[in-house]
Amino acid sequence: MTPSTPRSRRHAEGALRRALPGVLLTLAAVCCGAYALTHIPERPQGPRYVGAGNATPRTGGTFVFGAGSDLHSLDPHIAYDANSYMAIRLVFDGLLDYDEQGQMVPSLASAMPEVSEDGRTFTFHLREGVLFHESPVFDGPRELVAEDVRWSLERLLHPDTGSPGVSFFARLRGFDDFRAGRTPHIAGIDVRGRYEVAFTLDQADQTFLSAMAMVFAYPVPHENYEHHIAQGDPGAVERNPVGTGPFVFEAWERGVQLTFTRNKRYWERNRPNPDRMVLIEQLSGETAVGRFSNGDLDVLTSLPAVHYLFFKHAPAWAPYMAEEPEATIRGLCMNTGMAPFDNVHVRRAVAAAIDREAMRVMAQGRALPAGQILPPMIPGYDPGLPSLQRYDLARAQEEMRLAGYPNGIEEPVTAWIGEGQGSLVAAQLWGANLERIGIHVEYRQVAFSVYLEETGKPGQAQLFPSAWNMDFPDPSNFLEILFHSQNIHPTASENRSFYRNPELDALLDQARGEPDRERRLALYRQANDIVSRDAPWAFLSNDLGAELWQPYVMNYRPHPVWSNDYRNVWLDLPRVRVADSTYTEGATP
Amino acid sequence: MTRYLVKRTLWALFVLSTVVSAVFFLVHVAGDPAAVALGPRANADAIRDFRRIKGLDQPQLAQFGSYLGVSPCVRRDSPDFHDGAGYCGLLQGSLGTSYTHREDVAAVIGHRMPRTLLLGVMAMLFELLFGVTAGIVAALRRNTWADTGLMVLTFAGISVPTFVTGPIALFVLAFLLGWFPMGGYGVGFWEHVRHGLLPSMILAVGGAATYARILRGELVETLRMDYVRTAHAKGLAPRTVVVRHALRNALIPIVTLLGLSLPGLVGGAIITEKIFNWPGLGMLTIEAINKLDVPIIMATVLMFGVLVQLGNLLADVTVAALDPRIRVGERG
Repeated sequence: MTPSTPRSRRHAEGALRRALPGVLLTLAAVCCGAYALTHIPERPQGPRYVGAGNATPRTGGTFVFGAGSDLHSLDPHIAYDANSYMAIRLVFDGLLDYDEQGQMVPSLASAMPEVSEDGRTFTFHLREGVLFHESPVFDGPRELVAEDVRWSLERLLHPDTGSPGVSFFARLRGFDDFRAGRTPHIAGIDVRGRYEVAFTLDQADQTFLSAMAMVFAYPVPHENYEHHIAQGDPGAVERNPVGTGPFVFEAWERGVQLTFTRNKRYWERNRPNPDRMVLIEQLSGETAVGRFSNGDLDVLTSLPAVHYLFFKHAPAWAPYMAEEPEATIRGLCMNTGMAPFDNVHVRRAVAAAIDREAMRVMAQGRALPAGQILPPMIPGYDPGLPSLQRYDLARAQEEMRLAGYPNGIEEPVTAWIGEGQGSLVAAQLWGANLERIGIHVEYRQVAFSVYLEETGKPGQAQLFPSAWNMDFPDPSNFLEILFHSQNIHPTASENRSFYRNPELDALLDQARGEPDRERRLALYRQANDIVSRDAPWAFLSNDLGAELWQPYVMNYRPHPVWSNDYRNVWLDLPRVRVADSTYTEGATP
Repeated sequence: MTRYLVKRTLWALFVLSTVVSAVFFLVHVAGDPAAVALGPRANADAIRDFRRIKGLDQPQLAQFGSYLGVSPCVRRDSPDFHDGAGYCGLLQGSLGTSYTHREDVAAVIGHRMPRTLLLGVMAMLFELLFGVTAGIVAALRRNTWADTGLMVLTFAGISVPTFVTGPIALFVLAFLLGWFPMGGYGVGFWEHVRHGLLPSMILAVGGAATYARILRGELVETLRMDYVRTAHAKGLAPRTVVVRHALRNALIPIVTLLGLSLPGLVGGAIITEKIFNWPGLGMLTIEAINKLDVPIIMATVLMFGVLVQLGNLLADVTVAALDPRIRVGERG
């Protein structure tokens, strides 16, 4: 510091010196940031790995898949959701199952059951030599016998089990006496030998075999239940399943993952399968997509909108992506017990006023326009249904005139919708459609729990979006559950439009017992037509499911009945890592 | 001190019992737990069975009684259920059985608590590491570019929520660059730590920024104090002065904040857990609320209540121990 330097300049120099490290640091950070931003790799356009090219199916490897939520129960009597079924169907088998075309086939039963003349008795013969998985609850090898089938169904139907699947078996003889505790056994289940069991119904019921093919009816070993009761923790049976299926349950780290190993004693010999299956819980959205792209996940089933569009337009993924319509119907449920929807013309006007094509566009094409209760793959679906609901504004206005509201309805209608931005946006779309025929909609967005409770009570909710997904591929599962008047209750009604039509009830009752398949389907087509014409719902769309799998995952196609069924996959290992350029550019490997 | 503690405990019990009863009755306004637990596909028969088994068909007051354990147990599938006349409930130490997880609530929480704690502790370490470093640098380089740059950064850190930073970090750092795992929890302790790095850093951003700003303010004040000047005058090394004399006092508010952050630490960063698929208490709580799993909701409410009370108490006691000016229960 020389005396000749002016004071202000000295200051400035000092400040600069002090600030220098900071300035350099900031500059360095900016440079690093800029470098990083320009050198972030592009999103890869194709698969990371491909298969080894094995000509014959092979056994081995680990198959990794995910569920969008936690799993809750591995007890076939309790679980009632697609995620749990993914795991349960690895561990358990049913007497009946569905093949890849959706046809019912015998599984643990050695053949399709014999049906008596009157259609009320079904005799099953079990496959001999089927063993339950090795487990400490057994003394040694434990064979599946007819007695297990009886025990399992009685446990399922016992009131203390609290199973959601009870009503599917309500026509079994002695069902009510057993449920009321008047008899220790169900009279309609008759064990006739080590491998033979017969079921007798009070009334003929063509849906009984469909019920027997449901997961609820999968046989379980009573020793497992008794073991956990003796241990003082009866609930533990839901976390320690023992079945006959192709995979043995190994471990469940709660909230993280479940693991299964290949059942080496499986009754179906020489099945190529992975040695291990890993089911990751709570895997959804971005993390699932990221892991799948990295090759850490073998199938991708939940696709957020932006990623759906990405994969749909990525040619390298095209051979490994399937889009299939699902057996789901979505629509607008109208409470036929409340004004103005007690007027059939208003309901028809609503059904004709909604632009289903606009809804399809809004769902990125994942909502296929529908005009009847039955999805296309369900028997009884009728593409030429005379009363098919479709968008027709002029007809909607005409129906409003017939209803006595040529100038619209003055009183606004309240629509109950569940939580989430998506449901509100969708509601505003059909709400705008209704506005054009003079129905003003006020939205009432509530928690899903409230929505569920209030829409199940008569005289509570006027209008609300609703959906139904099949339990089994039979028209009764849609028409009877949603529109038969026996399903109207003070609370928790299944028939949430509270639609009452004695003619329809009689038709449905007759169809359920009709043994001739063609006559039966004709009755359902008639019922379908009535419901579509009377419009307790405006039927809007069927879901289009999209899923992807890795190139080395073999023998997998979406199953027509079970969603995400991995029983038959095998892995084409060792998988081959593709060149980085192929990976990022997405050339078809 | 003892009198103070007793008073605080009584007050805490009063607050907890109020919260528990209020939440118990409010939850039941939100819908029918039976319908939600069994899902939209369940039929009336199944719902009736469920209500009977879980005692949901009883009057509200009776349900509350059995929840507390002052009237006979109604949860027949509870591990505490013996013969229909047994008592089980809160006062007997039972939290009940989860409707959706179908497992003892204490066990469900027991699975998830360590995961959330791990994430919380890692986040706290990152908060302290980044927060204290940035605070010291900013205070010592006061009014320089470094200071301004850091303070702008911390301002951004406080302002940008984790639901913005989380997905971006996940997409860029984990997916595109592959530096971190794509969410999840992994298997084995070191895998848990590896999977926890990114979420805990994201979780730490807000806290670190807050600590940095507070520490900078405190340190700037402290460095102006007479005793610091005296220490300098005695010829102590500048480093010793800052670390031994100034920093020690400046850290007091940070300690208070750490105590107050305890409930958040255990409660789980709900949003961060959701983004990173971290199977902790936060995610459990969200799902329980969505599915009206009353036993889980009650248990988490109770736990958060206890933790808030405990955290406050801890903060008070620690500060009193650190700062001789604060003395409890003495008049003067």
